[in-house]
Formats: sequence, C-alpha cells, structure tokens
Amino acid sequence: MRFVLRRLGFYLVAFWVSVTLNFLLPRVMPGDPISRMMSQSQGRMTPEQVVQMQALFGLDNRPILQQYIGYWHSLFTGEMGVSISRFPTPVSEVIASQIGWTILLGSTALLIAVVIGNLLGILAAWRRGGVLDSALPPILVFIGSFPYFWLAMGALDVFGVVLGWFPLRHAFSAGATPSLSPEFIGDVAMHLVLPAMTIVVVSVGGWMLAMRNTMITTTSEDYIVMAEAKGLKANRIMFRYAARNATLPAVTNFGMAIGFVVGGALLTEVVFAYPGVGFQLLSAVTALDYPLMQGIFLTITGAVLVANFIVDMVYVRLDPRVRAS
Amino acid sequence: MAHRRFNTKARVLAALAVAGGLALAGCSGATTGSGDLDGTQLLTIPREDKATFSANFNPFSPNSMPMTQQAIYEPMFVFNPTDGTTTPWLATDWASSEDGMGVTFTLRDSVQWSDGDPMTAEDVVFSFELQKELLGGFEYLENVTADGAKVVFTYNTAFSPGLFEIGQQIIIPKHIWADIADPANETNSEPVGTGPYTEVTNFQTQSYSLLRNPHYWQPDKQKIEGILMLAFAGNDPANLATTNGETDWADQFIPNVQNAFVAKDSEHRGYWFPSVDAMINLQLNTTKAPFDDVAVRKAISMAIDREEVTSVAMQGYTHPADCTGLSDAYGTWRSADVVASCDWTTLDVKGANALLDDAGYPQGADGTRTLPDGSPFAFDISVGSASSDWLSVANIISQNLAEIGVTATVNSPDWSAVVAGYEDGSFDSGIVWSNNAPTPYQYYRGVMSTATVLPVGEQAFQNYHRFGLPAADDLLAQFAASGDDAEQVTVMNELQAVYAENAPLVPLFPGPRWGVYNTTRFTGFPSEDNPYAPLSTRSTTAVLVLTTLEPVVSK
Repeated sequence: MRFVLRRLGFYLVAFWVSVTLNFLLPRVMPGDPISRMMSQSQGRMTPEQVVQMQALFGLDNRPILQQYIGYWHSLFTGEMGVSISRFPTPVSEVIASQIGWTILLGSTALLIAVVIGNLLGILAAWRRGGVLDSALPPILVFIGSFPYFWLAMGALDVFGVVLGWFPLRHAFSAGATPSLSPEFIGDVAMHLVLPAMTIVVVSVGGWMLAMRNTMITTTSEDYIVMAEAKGLKANRIMFRYAARNATLPAVTNFGMAIGFVVGGALLTEVVFAYPGVGFQLLSAVTALDYPLMQGIFLTITGAVLVANFIVDMVYVRLDPRVRAS
Repeated sequence: MAHRRFNTKARVLAALAVAGGLALAGCSGATTGSGDLDGTQLLTIPREDKATFSANFNPFSPNSMPMTQQAIYEPMFVFNPTDGTTTPWLATDWASSEDGMGVTFTLRDSVQWSDGDPMTAEDVVFSFELQKELLGGFEYLENVTADGAKVVFTYNTAFSPGLFEIGQQIIIPKHIWADIADPANETNSEPVGTGPYTEVTNFQTQSYSLLRNPHYWQPDKQKIEGILMLAFAGNDPANLATTNGETDWADQFIPNVQNAFVAKDSEHRGYWFPSVDAMINLQLNTTKAPFDDVAVRKAISMAIDREEVTSVAMQGYTHPADCTGLSDAYGTWRSADVVASCDWTTLDVKGANALLDDAGYPQGADGTRTLPDGSPFAFDISVGSASSDWLSVANIISQNLAEIGVTATVNSPDWSAVVAGYEDGSFDSGIVWSNNAPTPYQYYRGVMSTATVLPVGEQAFQNYHRFGLPAADDLLAQFAASGDDAEQVTVMNELQAVYAENAPLVPLFPGPRWGVYNTTRFTGFPSEDNPYAPLSTRSTTAVLVLTTLEPVVSK
C-alpha cells in the first residue's frame, strides 16, 4: 500500500508539472491566433475583419497569473472553453467528436502490432538462427525505417487507387450514417484496414526485436535448462517459462504505447483523411488555438499518466521483486 | 494465473480473427463513390483545410462550415472579379446618392426563407445591426432603415466604396436570429437561409450534404440535387481524390495541374487560374534605412527578374506585375498611360546599378554595396516556412539582388513569427499579400495612405511597411467622396501615377485564384471562355456556379 501511495504522489507531481507546461508552452510561441488566420488567408481577410474577430473572440488579456488560476479552475470543472480555430464549438465537443476514431485506429493497430510482434519475437528467439530469426528482423527493421508518409502513400496508391481493394479515405463511406448494423461495422472495418496495417508494418519490427532480445536472455537462464531437463514439452517451456518472464519489458512498453494512442497518429490521419486528434492537435498548434491545444495536451497527459500508473500497478502483480523493494 | 494470461491472448487473437473476417466481408461490399448518373448525384467538393467538420453554420463565425456563405445565405448582389460585373441577387436594383452619402437598395419580392417565411427589408436592417454588434465594421454607416421593399443606407461621411461592402453583406432572417440569446456563440446547426442549398443532411465529422431549399426564389436554377462536402487534412489527400476523379469541383492548389489532373481525362477536366487575387508584393520596411529612399525601392524592383519568379516559383500560373500594382481584378481601372510611363517593374540590372550608384550606395571592390554610413547593404527577406512557393520567390529575389551588390538573406521561421515581425514593424522585408476588394481603393489605402500607418511597435494589420503620402490621402478621400463614375476613373488614374512615382512597395505578381473542374458528372463550370465567375468554391461567386451547373444524366 505504501508503494501505491508513493507512486500516486509521484504521479500527482508529474501531473502538476505537465499541466503547467501545457499552460506555459503555447504562450511562449510568437504571434496570436488572429494574426495566424490573417497569414493563412494570405490576403483573403481584410484588416477590418481582424479587428472584428478580436472583438468576437474576446481574447484573454488578463495577467498571466490570473489566467493560470482560471486554467486550473477550468481543469477541475471540465470546462475547457471554446476553440478559437473552430469558434464557437466548445473544446470538449471538438475532442469528443474525434477521440473515438483515434482510439479505434490507435488501439487496433497497437494490439495487432503487439500480438504479432511479440509472437514473432518469441518464436525467433526460440529457434535462434533459424529462418525466422535471420530473415525477419532485418526485413522488418528495413521496412520500419521507411519514412512513414511515403510508405502510407505507397500503400494507398497500390491497394486503394490501382487495385481498388480498399477505400481511399475517411473512417466510413461518405453518406453512410453511423449505426450498429453489420453493414456499417463492415464499412468501418474496411476503412480501418489500410491505416491500421501501415502503422502495424512500421511498428511491428520494434516489438519483435525487443521481445526477441529479452527472450534470448531468459532462455539462457538456469530454470529453462532445468525445465528442459525435466522433459517438459517445448511449447510449455517457451510460453509459460521463457515468454512469461521475458514479457515484463513488453508490458512497460505496451503501457506507454497505450497512453500515446490518445495523441492520435498524425501522419496516418493526414494520408488517409482519417478523423482524429493528431491532426487536430497540429492544426491547433499552427492556428495558436490555445484552448484546443490545452484540451488535447491535457487529454494526452492524463492518458499517459493513467496508463503508466496502471502499468506500475500491474507490475506489482507480475513481478514480486517490485513489491519487495 | 498462467492460464488466465494465455486465455487473454487467445481471446485477443480470436477478436482479431473476427475483425479480419469483417474486413474481408466488407471487401466485396466496397464501391467507389461515383454511383449512377441518374441526375440525383451530389456535387462533390473537397476541403483540404478542414480535417474534420463541426456543425457550425453561423455566417458571422470565421470558421463556419464551407458553403455557409455561398449556398445557404446570400448577399444583395454578387460581384464577379474576373469580368468586373455585378449580378443583382436579393436586390434587383440600387442607387447611390449623388453626394456619395448613402445608397438605396430595392429588394426582390417573392424571396422566401427556407422555412417558408417571406424575406423583408426588416431582415436586411437586422442583418446589418447584428453584423455591427458582433463584428463591428461599417463605421461609415449612420443608419439603415426599411422603407417598404427598399432599404436606405445613410453614411456619416461620403464613402462610395461602401456600396460593394453593403451589397456583398450576407442577409440573415430576423425571425430566427432575433430570438437567439448569444448569436456570437450560436452554432446554427439547422440554418434557415435564402440560398439554393440550405438543408444540411447527414452531418458527419468527415462529410455532409446540403440539399435543395424547398422555397428557393429561382427554382428553375436548382438543377443539381445538392452538394456533398468532403473533409481532408491537407492538399495531398485532397489532390488524390481530385486527380482520381472523385470530386467534381475543387479549388485547392494542385502542383503541375496539367499533367497531374487534366491529362488523365482531358475531355472532361480543366483548370482556370485567373490572376484576380490580392497582389503579392516585396514589402520593404520604410521606417528603416535605406528603404525610406525611393531610389532604393525602385532599384531593388528593377533588379528582380519577375519572369523567373512567376515561371519558376509560381509554376507559370501568374504573370509579372506592372507599376500600377493592380491585379487582374482591376483591369478596367488600369491606366495604360501610367503603365507606359514607368519602367521600374521591368528587369534592368544595369539601370538598377546606375540608380544605386547615383543615389550614393557605392559598390565596393568585392562587388557588394554599402550604405552612405559605410555599413553593408544587407537585409533579411522574411517568409513563413510553410509557403514553399513564396520561399522560392524569396530565393530568386535574393539571387537577383546579389547581381546589384545587395545581400538579401532569406529568413524563414514559422508564419506566426514572421507575421509578428510584420505587425510590430520590426521586419526588414517580406513577401506579403495586400488588400483585395472590388475597387482598387482598399489596395492603395493599405499601401500608401497615412491613415493606415501605425508607429513601429504598435500592431498593424495592413501597411506593414509603414508608408504614407498626404497626396495619396487627398486622392483617396476624393475617390471615396465621389459618386460619379467618370470622376472616380480620373482620381484612380492619378492614384496610379502617385503609386508609380513613389513605389511604396515592390509589386511582384497578382495572386492566382485556383480552381479545377471535372465535367463527367456535372456541366456548366466557368472557364476562361465563359468567365461568369471564378472557379473558387470559397468566394461569394460560388452561388453563381451552383445555380448554373447541370447534372449529367446517362441514358
């Protein structure tokens, strides 16, 4: 219990630091949101409109300390304000309309990559020097080091444009109405294939290598030799003796990756025009939309901290040594 | 414990298998969006700058959804910059008063809102009240009164350019908006307008449709069923959809448009980029030496190879500016005499060198020039890093200026840093847009009126280079006060001469307005031969296109 409390205290401090940074960083950036709109419109906005918009947005010109206090107040009330780049839509509404798709895409891709990567890693380490072990890691690392944008555009061109197997964009067909019907779920799954698979292809190599390396260390442990000497089945040794112990670092990585799922997959969203938080964050930053930026950063910070906390707790359960220390 | 863990993995695998199965099942059902050409196909338009849509159809909001001001709400008249014509829309007629102190609009009768209520002069009066309350502007408007089917606008000062601002103001229904408590924060998700396509249907974060207004005042012009807007996070995916033939009308920038888009189906596809957008200029901060010297501004202008700038950096989609600084939208105003009388926008390296030699900027042994106080003649050109085309423009200018011994360094941080420098007047020079309105009044006011010059350190939104001439002020005031066309032309000619003499900034090229079309599913798009509107989906002229297009029906 003391361990849990200590960790909790640590997370509270981390939360305060990151929330304060969320507040300060956007304000250090030069310019203001309306000047940004002006430069983006490149002459389509008149100088009069700029003055009009300042009146409309009612920009926050209070002293920074008061803004900071107001910011904390809004954190606890969940009232994150109105987005500037999507005025007058509230920040919470902007995030809520995207976060579902973000989580669907991110968690699907993450789960597939983790499962395939770890299984391949286990098998590769178990048959060290075999075909799987010598051929796959270099290939996966090679593919993983491609610029993602290029790879995704290529996949879109081959499987979407030339072969026409998969839709080119969006989370579901334009004109379809979301429902729980099999047709709609099939439509969503179809639209998910290319975006998710491109993420899996570039990330699976990392999972595989990490697993393979820890697995190799574990397989040289005495208790594996012991298990083999007892004549246990190879499968049983591989999964329950070696893999179970080798899986600890993977759990840490998985926990961190879960947290970052909420941040969205920026390039995937751009290439496949998939709705999501990642592109929203980019456009909020380029438009200097402080309320939206803060809202998204806060969501990401919260998700990463919560995921890490859960991993910490799971660790206690998985690894008795952590409890003891 | 071990069992449970393994079971979890097995469950995950099973779930994945199901997902994969669904994916394969969906495979057979996937169809491309084109569908049958039965006349009910929707006009598909991409928006590359809205990654996702949020249902905001408030016409006063700067982020309202595309087509709010084009298909849902309408102005009293529509001005077309490509041929300079004005089409009566919600008003049938208007007359400026002789003394330039006002204008009277006569409204079209039998115009109805999309909920069936009639549109009245009261709606127009209320629209201006709300516009002034929410966004300000229209400082010259003393009052607006309804008089039967007429609306009378009275000014507190003579201001003839006000006609175009008033005529192009969006009109909203009083019976809806008068009851809205907080109109600035209203998202107006079920808009009521007079436009041809007002019925928002199937709104999703990535697409939505606008279908026919059942009470439109020109039902014979609603030939298409409706509009389908698609959201894209950037030019690349939007261009993919456009070049793939999935959009009917698009106006995002497509590089190498002839090969990338038109060549794939030249029978149906076309583009038209008229140079009617704002003039793009090299602005030199005249509060800093040596840019306060007109000889320096002209010499820099003469050293710039505008042909190279437009053909290389702008891919040949526009043409060099002349020394009136007017874009093609002001073709009827341009004075041929002024254009013939000056040469500082023509490439002439020798002349530029001679001009600088005479003005006291000596060229040293190493070829670089110095200012009269002995410091090197060197400055920065600031451009936002995101604008790759303008960056090329700046780089070409930098090379050009090296030939006259002037060191111009291209400085390209993020746009926000660049614009912050423009606004507080701390920049050296930059590639900058300018004001663009139906008459050249706003352009000249923004580049050489003392009224728009703010001291360095104060935030300016126009006239970043901080140049003003009392002579220009007088002419601008004369122009604004005049209700007479012939007199306006005379004053505008004099303004052009003042501009040509003083070179307040260095005009480079008029901005092109992008637009491409695909006639596979719809016909009747504007083109160079039929310039009834630019091919832009974002300007108010889009309503002219929407009421002209016809669906293709396959037999």
